[in-house]
Amino acid sequence: MKQAGSSQENFSWKYRIQRGIRDFNKWTVFTVLILLFIAVPVITIFFKLFDGPGESWEHISKYLLADYLKNSLYLAILCSLITLIAGVFSAWVVTRFEFPMRTYLEWLLIIPLAIPGYIMAYAYAGFFDYGGIFSWLLSPFGIENFKLDMMNVIGLSFVLGISLFPYIYVSARAFFLTQALNLLEASRLLGVSETKSFFKLVFPLARPAIVAGLVLVLMEVLNDYGAAEYYGVNTFTTGIFRSWFSLEEPETAIYLSALLLSIVFVLIILEKYQRRKLQYTSPKSGRTSIDYRIQFNRPKQLVLTLLVSLPVLLGFIIPVIQLVQWSVRTFSEVFNQDLLWLSLQSFGIAFAGACFTVLFALLLLYFSKWNKIYSVQSASKLGVLGYAIPGAVVAIGIMIPTLSLDKNFIDWGWASKFIINGTLIALVYAYVVRFLAVAYQPLESSSLKVNSSIPDSSKILGMGNFKTFFKIEFPLLKAGMLSAFILVFIDILKELPLTLILKPYHINTLAVNAYGYASDEMVMHASIPSLFIILTALIPVIVLNKLLLKNG
Amino acid sequence: MKNIVFLLLVFTVLVGCKNDSKSSDETTLNQLNVYTHRHYDSDKQLFEMFEKETGIKVNVINSKADELIQKMVLEGEQSPADVLITVDAGRLHMAKEKGLLQPVKNTAVIDSILSPNLVDKDYEWIALTKRARILVYAKDRIDPTELSSYEDLVLPKWEGKLLFRSSSNIYNQSLMASIVANDGEDIAKKWAQGMVKNQARKPKGNDRDQVKAIAAGEGDIAIVNTYYVGKMLNSNDRVELEAADKVGVFFPNQKDRGTHINISGIGIAKHSPNPEAANQLIHFLLNEEAQKVFALSNYEYPVNPSVENSEILKAWGDFKEDSLHLNLLGELNKKAVILFDEAGWK
Repeated sequence: MKQAGSSQENFSWKYRIQRGIRDFNKWTVFTVLILLFIAVPVITIFFKLFDGPGESWEHISKYLLADYLKNSLYLAILCSLITLIAGVFSAWVVTRFEFPMRTYLEWLLIIPLAIPGYIMAYAYAGFFDYGGIFSWLLSPFGIENFKLDMMNVIGLSFVLGISLFPYIYVSARAFFLTQALNLLEASRLLGVSETKSFFKLVFPLARPAIVAGLVLVLMEVLNDYGAAEYYGVNTFTTGIFRSWFSLEEPETAIYLSALLLSIVFVLIILEKYQRRKLQYTSPKSGRTSIDYRIQFNRPKQLVLTLLVSLPVLLGFIIPVIQLVQWSVRTFSEVFNQDLLWLSLQSFGIAFAGACFTVLFALLLLYFSKWNKIYSVQSASKLGVLGYAIPGAVVAIGIMIPTLSLDKNFIDWGWASKFIINGTLIALVYAYVVRFLAVAYQPLESSSLKVNSSIPDSSKILGMGNFKTFFKIEFPLLKAGMLSAFILVFIDILKELPLTLILKPYHINTLAVNAYGYASDEMVMHASIPSLFIILTALIPVIVLNKLLLKNG
Repeated sequence: MKNIVFLLLVFTVLVGCKNDSKSSDETTLNQLNVYTHRHYDSDKQLFEMFEKETGIKVNVINSKADELIQKMVLEGEQSPADVLITVDAGRLHMAKEKGLLQPVKNTAVIDSILSPNLVDKDYEWIALTKRARILVYAKDRIDPTELSSYEDLVLPKWEGKLLFRSSSNIYNQSLMASIVANDGEDIAKKWAQGMVKNQARKPKGNDRDQVKAIAAGEGDIAIVNTYYVGKMLNSNDRVELEAADKVGVFFPNQKDRGTHINISGIGIAKHSPNPEAANQLIHFLLNEEAQKVFALSNYEYPVNPSVENSEILKAWGDFKEDSLHLNLLGELNKKAVILFDEAGWK
């Protein structure tokens, strides 16, 4: 493989084009079509890069940019550390060892994701504030009026890290669950310790899965606005909003977004380039999964329980305690039957959105695989970039093309009013564009594990692409698909700017309800809808976790 | 499993299409589409009252003003928006500049209720409620007779004592714009630099957090909006109540131009499908009944002078308002932000 690859690199452009024409097939067309559909909003924004920034660019680069870059960098590094440690460690422990409460912790570890970042930020600031719960807990020890200041870069990294580590946990666990165990068994039989086997063997093997999760974490961290604004930490995204809203220059805002986009794109390419020669497929013998777990003695098991409980405590229990305390105080004002109806609507929208997003991620992944032109395959990575841009900017990217379509429909007499904007079509389209990355990353990393010789032999034996896919790859991909679905579902459930701008009048979600209170500094009132978001997220997480284990 | 997935999909699609299938002209006349930045329960109550009174159904899109304005720009002539409601004058001015608004009718009625600085010169937007940006101080540490104006906060005696939030906040931007308008650019920039020099900590948190920080002793004087103090005094959170109890309220610049005020206001969309109903809504929101709801449930100052303030606001007493025309806040907003950045106000 390697030899063939290196000799091909010398070939001229002419040959490449000839080869391109030879390899062209219908999948190339489908890939390009799907890619266009998904990437139009992103491309719309990307092309603004060539328009250049507005006149306030000089002002921003002179007074603000250095601070923005420094803070974003800090944030990215600290969050990577926190999420990697919490995510990889807990995923490995729950798949490899047996200990009390394991089955509960397995799905509780996903839940921190359901708490919107800005709510997590409010909850932690409140928890550690003067007169907050933490200071109350300390008061019996004679420490009065204690305050731990969360409102700085470190506090922000902690809050974002602890709410985002499930991205890494989910994709790493999906990998570990279906990971070929015979290598690990061989290593253990040859006398290598469990710890060493993990770092030398399992961790490197799991790299695509872990990186897939990390990319999501970084994109989310870079475009966070609510939490960063409240904590007074100025990041790149602060700059985007400052130039858009305060300096009244959308073109500079879009320029900044496009810059951010390019940085993320370069990171993705670098990672791909660095691992391109490595093969990540399962051994020929097919799929083996972890069907038994190591059982230590009781005290050691309890230590494991405690260790794995730590991320759950920080990412779920503490914020929920704070939210519950607030909701008790605001219960009479906020709680009404509308909340149940809101939960139902949120559930429906998130469900439909997640179905479409996973579907499009699958289509993009496999169509680009079946197409034989390499550059088209690489280009399909463009589809995931929607996740790196702040939602409010994506909304602009969505509205520009869809509104012009809508206006044309009216001009041509096909419609009397907007039929895409202001309906669920625009909203679901926006979700697909924004969250494609969330579905694509776990799908891609689990598709890498499918040894290509299995579908290849199927195709040699005369099966078509589709039949091979449904008979062979689909069953092998189930774990990845379920992970993808859970993540997208939760993400849509808490999503804000897109839903606010694009939702139809008669649709309302829990996230919109919570935001309405929080934006008016009524954080306590936002606690009840936030708790409902968590409850709504619990149902699919528990159900799908069962399915995941059954299929694992 | 597959069946459940299918059923749920069908259900969502049906919910989504429920209202869209109904068309077209008759329904528009009985509907009013409101783009609003206000998320308050008082507004919900008012829209319900309006629906009952007129039979016109109010549809609400809630978002940040900037995003709503951007949406209206992109939607252009076919925009379904009838009215735009914001929480500051600057954004209404921006919408006007972008050609998104149209003049309100029955200007005589409006002139009879509102003072002229609260209405756009071309009647393209009008104020609904007022908020004052005031000082709060630690009752046990600060003698209020030592306080006087926004400008005096930069005096060396307040070093390490001031609390304020980020310059990204629109209320701070409007305050800065009013200082630029009243004192000029140079003084305004020096003022911002002096404020940064006297700050007790880096700007962070929201208005309520500034009050809490005074109570905790992190600083002694903070700049906040009146209605947040009102809400804290009526909070069901013990910590907020205690904090609000520890601070005194001071209306600055009473000896000269008056305290800076900002508004929450409304304008009719240029391409409104139902301008009649939009005008109806504006007059409804200005009448005494509606203004009472604003005043009582949200601790805002009503713009209709025949409506009384809420008890808490009455207890703070009357004050002199800066009569600067609010159009200027919009015009100078960008300048204000640039000066903030140059002065290093984060």
